[in-house]
Amino acid sequence: MATRETSLKKSSPALFQQVQGVLRTQEGVLLIITIISVLILATQTDKFLTVKNLLNQGRLMTEIGLIALPMTFIIITGGIDLSVGSIVGLSAIMLGYSWHNLGFPLEVAIAIALGIGALAGAINGLIITRFRVPPLIATLATLAFYRGLAEGIAQARSVTGYPAWFFDLGQRETLGIPNQLYFLVIGIVISAILLSRTTFGRSLYAIGNNELAARFSGIPVNRNKVLIYAFSGFMSGFAGYVLVSRVSTTRSDMGSGWELDAIAAVVLGGTSITGGTGSILGTTIGLVLIQLLKNGLALSGVTGDATIVVIGSVLILSTLINIVVQRRLRGV
Amino acid sequence: MRKFVVLTLVLSFILAPLAALPAVAQEEEKRWDGADDLPVNPLPCGDEPAPEPEPKEYDGGQPVNPPDLAGKEITLVDVPKLIGIGYFAATTKGQQEAAEELGNVKVTTDAPTEANIDEQITFIDNYITRGVDGILFAANDPVAITPVLKKALEQGIRVVGYDANSLPEGREWFVNQAEFNGIAKALLDSLAAEKGEDAKFGIVTSTFTTPNQARWIAEMWAYAKECHPDMVWLETLEAQEDYNLSFEQANTLIDKYGDELDGLFGMTSVATPAAADAVTQAGLCGEVAVVGLATPNAMKPFVNSGCVKSVVLWNPVDLGYAAVYVMRQVVDGNFKPGDTEVEAGRLGKLKVVNGSEVLLGPPFIYTAENINDFDF
Amino acid sequence: MASVTQTVSMRRPRSQVSSVLRTIFGSQESVLLVVLVLLIAYVGHSNSGFLATRNMVNVFAGYAYIAIAALGMTMVIVTGNIDISVGSLMVTLSMLSGALVTYKGYPSWLPLDAIIGISWLLPIVIGALIGAIIGFFVTYLRIPAIVVTLGFLSILKGVLIMVSQGERITGMPTGYALAQRRPLQGLDFPIFEDFFRMLTMPVFFMVFLMIVVALWMRYSPTGRAMYAVGGNAEAARLSGISEHRIVMTAFILNGVFVGIAAVLNATQFSVIQVTLPPIELQIITATVVGGVSILGGTGTVVGAVLAAILLNTITKALVFLDISPFWTRAIQGLMILVTVLADLIRRQRQAE
Repeated sequence: MATRETSLKKSSPALFQQVQGVLRTQEGVLLIITIISVLILATQTDKFLTVKNLLNQGRLMTEIGLIALPMTFIIITGGIDLSVGSIVGLSAIMLGYSWHNLGFPLEVAIAIALGIGALAGAINGLIITRFRVPPLIATLATLAFYRGLAEGIAQARSVTGYPAWFFDLGQRETLGIPNQLYFLVIGIVISAILLSRTTFGRSLYAIGNNELAARFSGIPVNRNKVLIYAFSGFMSGFAGYVLVSRVSTTRSDMGSGWELDAIAAVVLGGTSITGGTGSILGTTIGLVLIQLLKNGLALSGVTGDATIVVIGSVLILSTLINIVVQRRLRGV
Repeated sequence: MRKFVVLTLVLSFILAPLAALPAVAQEEEKRWDGADDLPVNPLPCGDEPAPEPEPKEYDGGQPVNPPDLAGKEITLVDVPKLIGIGYFAATTKGQQEAAEELGNVKVTTDAPTEANIDEQITFIDNYITRGVDGILFAANDPVAITPVLKKALEQGIRVVGYDANSLPEGREWFVNQAEFNGIAKALLDSLAAEKGEDAKFGIVTSTFTTPNQARWIAEMWAYAKECHPDMVWLETLEAQEDYNLSFEQANTLIDKYGDELDGLFGMTSVATPAAADAVTQAGLCGEVAVVGLATPNAMKPFVNSGCVKSVVLWNPVDLGYAAVYVMRQVVDGNFKPGDTEVEAGRLGKLKVVNGSEVLLGPPFIYTAENINDFDF
Repeated sequence: MASVTQTVSMRRPRSQVSSVLRTIFGSQESVLLVVLVLLIAYVGHSNSGFLATRNMVNVFAGYAYIAIAALGMTMVIVTGNIDISVGSLMVTLSMLSGALVTYKGYPSWLPLDAIIGISWLLPIVIGALIGAIIGFFVTYLRIPAIVVTLGFLSILKGVLIMVSQGERITGMPTGYALAQRRPLQGLDFPIFEDFFRMLTMPVFFMVFLMIVVALWMRYSPTGRAMYAVGGNAEAARLSGISEHRIVMTAFILNGVFVGIAAVLNATQFSVIQVTLPPIELQIITATVVGGVSILGGTGTVVGAVLAAILLNTITKALVFLDISPFWTRAIQGLMILVTVLADLIRRQRQAE
């Protein structure tokens, strides 16, 4: 990395300034780390850097990606949502239950699953805003509660036997690209625009930086918070639907532990856990980096236990590199 | 006012399940019979031989244009439910034994660190991309794993399951360690031998959704009704695959039923030693019998101390060994749909049952006499 | 269920709340104690087996290791940080302890007692060391605690599985079994001998450590500084408190308590094996239900320990009340939510 920078500096100062400009952003540093990792992994196996493999990885990371987007919003406001994995399970169960047990048409059942997800998220938001419960505590409690509801409703039964069209989303491609990946891309674009180009998005940064000041400047803090938690619940519900469509069955333990995967993508993407900074671009790079690392290591013959050691180290190291680089640049 | 409405809404959503409480505290549900709506097939009581099962046509899946690797060196990957637990360490050991014996098989074990359906799918998917000649698996969920296994078959990769099945079309063969009804019979007969026909028992299982455990409990329910009608089925508790929780749940059953409790069944290789630990520490050895599925190493302290009389299990080393042999025979073309038995090295000839399953044999019962001969 | 009624009664205008109630609900610790007593009384009323000595001992001892880990977590959270790697760390240290005591390569002159001592103490030292590493990353390198500990969660888990390869540890010497749940032998108590004998080691450790830590956090300069750092880091710095040193101390002590919890966990059983349930969630839940504010600055270890006991009591109570096992997790989640809400509402009322 260092040699590349110096050579660039010699050949073209303007280009160097551009590179430096990119480096000034957390996303730029992370992007460089990602590119280096990809290049290293590509030298280990020729199966890694192929269109087919990369698209397949897109399919596999969609569910976590869908959850990581609203998680970015929430963490930017200084909050956190630990209940997302449980909402995935609850929505998945509701999908199967309302179709199989309550006899709704499957389309309606999907809508119910998404609605339940949004409702569960909105309840998180209401508990957080109306009762002023810290988000970590509120969603820690609903993590247990929503999972419990899923178990109670499911009564340990899985629902299978969906009609063929139901699997279009999770198991088929359009124009060679996995169907769910379109939704992830649309989600990324909408979330990015929402966050960086609208008043609503800017209000989230304001809340994260100083909630009291945001309140005084007339931002509807509570309403916006409830909205993003509801959005988080909705996207978790959608992720649940995508997962059910991909694996063709519903189980009450679906999505367990996903909250940590989503949070890892967000914080790796440079969103500060204390709120106020962060971007959808960063989260997307973080998500891609983790997925490609897992995949590339597996393809190079690294086993699962060693892979999670690498992922954990990368999480700490890349955050460290970013902090050091930012500090240096600001110092210059 | 608005605040009040919101508050009421939130509270009522949260409190709604409480209203359902009386309805959920029902005797039948408390016992939980493993009901997963699949048919049960209890074996005849006592020493009566099992009736010959009706032959079933081969119902497995077949790979599309698999390369001809007969006699050539093959690379296999083994994706169990998870790595890091003793049971799958034992199946891996058996696979390595078989690979060494055969000389032309290379097998590596790799799986998630938690029994997680979507992660297991990702692992298999990665190995399809990486390119292996064959996949051995033990499924976390029979339905969820099937699409990715079908993808492997479509690419000409050989697929053989063991321990926990997928849907039949997801694999060519499944090496069945012991039939569900056989396990159920062995467990209940062991308890009856130890505590009599009127024994009252509780069960500690992993989760109600784990397919193998659910099937065993369902078969136990059916077999107990037929052959041990006077036994009393007290309660079934979940304990994940967690030693501490299993220990606590066993303690809870001991405390709740007191002198009433005659036996505890452990349905996992974690729950059984934990239940034995709880009974030992409560000083109730001999009064509360512990019968269950477990690997010998974890049970040696309790069997040697006399607290546990019998541990039911197949030999997981043999299971892994058989899976590799079956795979080799499939690749070599010596084992084809329609065959009724398969040659599996030191295990001799194994029988085909149920269309596309290879049966390892009857469950094995470890006792104080033989447990120290095993090391896994 | 008891806690639901309490919440409702607390929602009445303040004038109706008698002064007695106000004292009772003056702190989260007393709320938890009242809820605990009422719950035990209620369950005991509908199933007297619940009140049997053996069950009561299990109710208090069952989560002792969670409670002891919650002591360290309290310090970490009070300083405004969090540690989600504690579950992986605890399992790692438990396995380490078992591996040390069954290791065959010690020199022959080393007495068995010394080996047992090593296997009790070394995991605690390693715990402190890992706590120090985490603390170093958090304080001197300024990486947020959640990122560091998320990373350590993966790293520890991966290394543990690589090293242990699914092996179980058995054959520990008898003297090693420090925390088994049997009546105590070989100890003399001047008073209430039978009562103390029933209590079992984990309960002793839990109560003893809780008292020590509670006093230390309340009266020692370092303990008080923890609250200061979490409450208002800037003000703390101005008053001459070294934030780095205090946060470091919190993480190191957290490692120590995780180490102690791990040793108690390992010495409880005849078989030690790697099972990785999300203990970190149970520990964090106990801590926050105990009234430790996630924003830092407030909460005590007494609350955290009571909350840990309460969580275990709820789990057992639901079995004794014949609640369908399918609904137990939902009810547990609900009760956690209600207890947390009760704490928040009380605090807001006090602040008004």
